[in-house]
Amino acid sequence: MNELGEFALLMALVTALYGIAGYVMAIRQNRVDLYFSADRTPLIVWGCVMVSSIALWKAFITDDFSLQYVWAYSNRDLDIFYKISSFWGGQKGSLLFWTLLLTTYMMVVHVQNRKRDLRVVPIAMVVMLVITLFFLCLLNFSTQPFEIIPVPPEDGRGLNPLLQNYWMVIHPPTLYLGYVGFTVPFAFAVAALLTRNLDDGWIRMTRKWTLISWFFLCMGNLFGAQWAYVELGWGGYWAWDPVENAAFMPLMIATAYLHSVMIQEKKDMMKVWNMVLILLTYVMTIFGTFITRSGLIQSVHTFDEATLGYYFLAFLGVVTIFCIVLIIRRLPLLKSKNELDSFLSRESSFLFNNLLLLGIAFSTFWGTIFPIISEAVRGVKITVGPPFYNQVNVPIGLVLLALIGIGPVIAWRRATWSNLKKNFAIPVLGGLVCGAVVFPFVPITDKAETLSFIAFMLCAFVLTSIFLEFWKGASARKSMHHESLPVSFSNLVWKNKRRYGGYIVHIGVVFIFAGIAGSQAYSVDVERHLKIGDTIQLKGYDLTLEKVIWIKANETKERLIAQLAVVKDGTRIWTGKPEKEFYKGQNQPVSEVDLRSTLKEDLYLILADYRGEQFEPMSPTMATIKDGEATIKAHVMPMVAWIWLGGWTIAFGTVIAAWPDRAEARRRLERMKRMEGIFAPAQQE
Amino acid sequence: MTSLAAKNFLNANRPVYFKQIAQILLMSIVLALAVVPAMAASQMDNLENELMCNCKDECGKVLINCTCDHSKKMRKELKAQLDSGLTVKQIVQAYVNEYGETILSAPTKSGFNLSAWVTPFIALVIGGVGVRTVMRKWIKPADKQSGKSAVASSGADEASTTGSTDNDEPSSEYSSRVKRELDNLED
Repeated sequence: MNELGEFALLMALVTALYGIAGYVMAIRQNRVDLYFSADRTPLIVWGCVMVSSIALWKAFITDDFSLQYVWAYSNRDLDIFYKISSFWGGQKGSLLFWTLLLTTYMMVVHVQNRKRDLRVVPIAMVVMLVITLFFLCLLNFSTQPFEIIPVPPEDGRGLNPLLQNYWMVIHPPTLYLGYVGFTVPFAFAVAALLTRNLDDGWIRMTRKWTLISWFFLCMGNLFGAQWAYVELGWGGYWAWDPVENAAFMPLMIATAYLHSVMIQEKKDMMKVWNMVLILLTYVMTIFGTFITRSGLIQSVHTFDEATLGYYFLAFLGVVTIFCIVLIIRRLPLLKSKNELDSFLSRESSFLFNNLLLLGIAFSTFWGTIFPIISEAVRGVKITVGPPFYNQVNVPIGLVLLALIGIGPVIAWRRATWSNLKKNFAIPVLGGLVCGAVVFPFVPITDKAETLSFIAFMLCAFVLTSIFLEFWKGASARKSMHHESLPVSFSNLVWKNKRRYGGYIVHIGVVFIFAGIAGSQAYSVDVERHLKIGDTIQLKGYDLTLEKVIWIKANETKERLIAQLAVVKDGTRIWTGKPEKEFYKGQNQPVSEVDLRSTLKEDLYLILADYRGEQFEPMSPTMATIKDGEATIKAHVMPMVAWIWLGGWTIAFGTVIAAWPDRAEARRRLERMKRMEGIFAPAQQE
Repeated sequence: MTSLAAKNFLNANRPVYFKQIAQILLMSIVLALAVVPAMAASQMDNLENELMCNCKDECGKVLINCTCDHSKKMRKELKAQLDSGLTVKQIVQAYVNEYGETILSAPTKSGFNLSAWVTPFIALVIGGVGVRTVMRKWIKPADKQSGKSAVASSGADEASTTGSTDNDEPSSEYSSRVKRELDNLED
């Protein structure tokens, strides 16, 4: 099966090459036979990569340690769940997984669009095949996942314990789906530029793909934050690590694109800008991959064998130069009407929203590369860590938050000061009331608390403004269609999915802001060494160490658990069980935090240290430690759950916004009918 | 007389006046929040925030976020130094002298490193000026002159579905147009 996997990768490479050559020659020589032949290649390439992936999965599941990659990232005692996810635990497998997702996207897009617009789709396929070819070259010639160990060892080295967490099973695929997904709008944008079909056809064809990719990138970031929160044991969820930044930057640029593209669709404006944004989004996904796989910038996420830097740097350079040249050459064709009615309009608020989103992306990029610049200019290595990003990005983020509330109440085309006063009165009042209500309960003694207080008021302002939009819309429907309010509300959302789905996404973003504000400013923590029966107090919680338990989970893993009774207002509300896990062959134990999460606050417990020798066996694999002592670090972090709730709200909003629209489908069908007969291959078919 | 003139001036220039105040306030808030350093955190927290973990594995984590064994030793060292009466600044300087600037979690705000802090804001200001210039260019000339004739007109698809008419008093003609467009949109 390993040989088949290896051969399938080679076949995929050859087929991709053939596909590129076939499409290009068919288009240049107008050869329909060649076109139909090349048109089969996306499916075949996907099939080959899928066969190769199945072969690697099989090797993991059957503990085939003759493969170097399986030996390095798995062992016999690993749960089947993690054996499956070990596939993307290292560089080789993750590249194959990336290629699998890329070819899957390519195949689905091909099936969906192949008969739609034969001016653009074949060229888009060529672009996707070229990108696939790059990854297949790496997999075949530089970092082969099917590399054999001549004398297979008995057992594998095992998966990094930090990756043995359910969030780590979900986080990389989600993030990759986002990263890779942006290849679709990128390919269509390049195809539109190459073929000079620069109306908004390519935007319509890729609208859903862009939204889906954005959604996955967003959720990938959030899942990564959840993994960091429950697995790394430092009581935080975002550390502005270069690799986190690498996923964050394309998210910001893609968000800017999703907003500004609405202006192109509505008013045929900003064609150049939108083209730049979508190309830049893709370039930043490659930049992120370059960071992870080059080892150039120090990061906790960098792969062990970060040796592909030069390849990705070259790819990044070629893609960037190609995009710049292409846009410059097509500038005359990208001219749009670009007319605004007024400074005070929804359009201008979108422009400022773009400015702020790109401002955040730029400051993040700047902070990420500044260590390299410093070393080049001064010869001095420096670090750019969380204090920099927090001080620079948080204020910009707050202005952006305000803009989320301002946008919906400003009219398209032109607003007046009297309109603004009228529309803003209630949201501003909402913000002020929130401030007045919150003020007595939260201390405002330092910068973080001041920023959080401002953030809470802005959150209330935005929520009120969005609520008013829903209310006005539902009321208007109610009076026009004589519906009940709940019916008019659901019809309002369902018949304007894109708009109200977008508002729901904004609500999710507000929740995330609120969660960050609460948890960053008002967290408290304590660290104490406890003997059995000792109690520590923290923000109304009494934490008593009841016992320390040892468990032998399997041949390679042992667990040490500190059991704490958590009492609040005289009532036992929870039993906390933070633990340390010891893996065979690993120098340091891994902390497994335990947490009690409510919308108000999280009680977050870490077993920082332990002591004790008198084991009292309870069973062959379990014992209590009679003289057990534990150093417990406890955090009370307000409102963290709002961040995750925000994530699910964003997911809900995106599903609504991306839900297929019958009217849109009908309009598309009409457009296709109008286009029928234009393209030679379509006629032949 | 003077106050009447001032009142007239304010009334005549109200939109511009408010807009400029809003812009200045916004810029001031952003800059102030960015520049003012954190204040009330404990000395130990400040130290852990300012220093990176310097373990051999080069874990790349800020000390306050690090849980490796070396970080525990480092914390003990720092606590002992604080207890001995050294200030946060002195301790940080001692670490910089020993390990170089890479031990700091963020660039210093002096010399070349200052460019790390100011560049994003300079870029933002340049971007803002660019957006403003582009918007000036894009605004229709006729409307620039009659800018005060402000008839709010929201996009048909927007207003029709929300009922958020941007006119102060929606006419019956407007309502019937909204209904007509709503019907077209929803069929």
